[in-house]
Amino acid sequence: MRNDLLRGPAPAPEPTTDPTTAGDAYEPVTGLDQQTVQCVRACEAEAAAKTASDYEHVVWAYGVIWSLFAVYGVLLWRRAAAQRRDLDELRRRIDKG
Amino acid sequence: MSITRRLPLVLFAAAAISIPYSVQRIFLHTGIEKKMGTVQKIFYFHVPLAWIMMALAIACGVAAAIQLRNRSRMAEAVSIATGELVLITGLAVLVTGPIWGHASWGRAWTWDARQVSTGLLWMIFAAFVLLRRYGAAGSERLAAALAVFGAVDVPVIYYAVKIWKTTHPTTDVVGSLPPQMWNSLWPALGALVCLTLGVLLVRIRQEQDAAELDDAWIALDERGRQLGGAS
Repeated sequence: MRNDLLRGPAPAPEPTTDPTTAGDAYEPVTGLDQQTVQCVRACEAEAAAKTASDYEHVVWAYGVIWSLFAVYGVLLWRRAAAQRRDLDELRRRIDKG
Repeated sequence: MSITRRLPLVLFAAAAISIPYSVQRIFLHTGIEKKMGTVQKIFYFHVPLAWIMMALAIACGVAAAIQLRNRSRMAEAVSIATGELVLITGLAVLVTGPIWGHASWGRAWTWDARQVSTGLLWMIFAAFVLLRRYGAAGSERLAAALAVFGAVDVPVIYYAVKIWKTTHPTTDVVGSLPPQMWNSLWPALGALVCLTLGVLLVRIRQEQDAAELDDAWIALDERGRQLGGAS
């Protein structure tokens, strides 16, 4: 007993540095209080969810592309119809004259 | 039915099959990009449209140069049709790009070198189309010169991200895509090429028909004048 007291407290065990588990080991967050950490995590989760489901921009972009082609298609259709009318008029004039 | 009239129908049929296929590939079989999220799906149509726009601008410039040199009617019809399609595809690129930029950069328009050079190309071809449509007699030569000038802007657009510091991604991004993204990019490119080529052929045919109709009207008027003079 006396010898134990003279030796003092037993030395702390050496920390194990296993390279395979070093990256996954628990590391307490320092320098930030619990409330700030929770707030940052909530903001990050909200941003990640928004990024993963941002369909508004995608729908607008795809809508614009197909609308442009559709409008141009209608314009071509109308131009073709006008040409057909012009051709019919020309034929009528030739038949008449 | 001649091959020139049948080919657009074949291309439209191919586009009708490949557009839904590419859309389902993009949304159902390609993962969501880690950094940009869902908005990156705009890439699959934005980038092929930009490639098509640049190819059409070069084709329009070449056709206009041939028209200036040879006064070829075919070249004139091709330059008019490609010029109009540069406007359509260019507008699609200039709208989808800023929509993507709004989501990922936080600003739609950053006065980035690639944005500005693409906007410049669009304005040059807008001037070309307006001049062709409303210009006085003889303005077709000025319009052709504008189209040649516009085609010169294409290399500026391509190298803008290499020469200047830009927020727009560099040209290396496309080469570094994983196979899964390439497998969705190819069908989208194929679908848009089929659609654009089909529309282009229809428009070229229309322009040739319009020129032939004009000739027929002029011939009929002259015949009427000759008959009137003889009596």
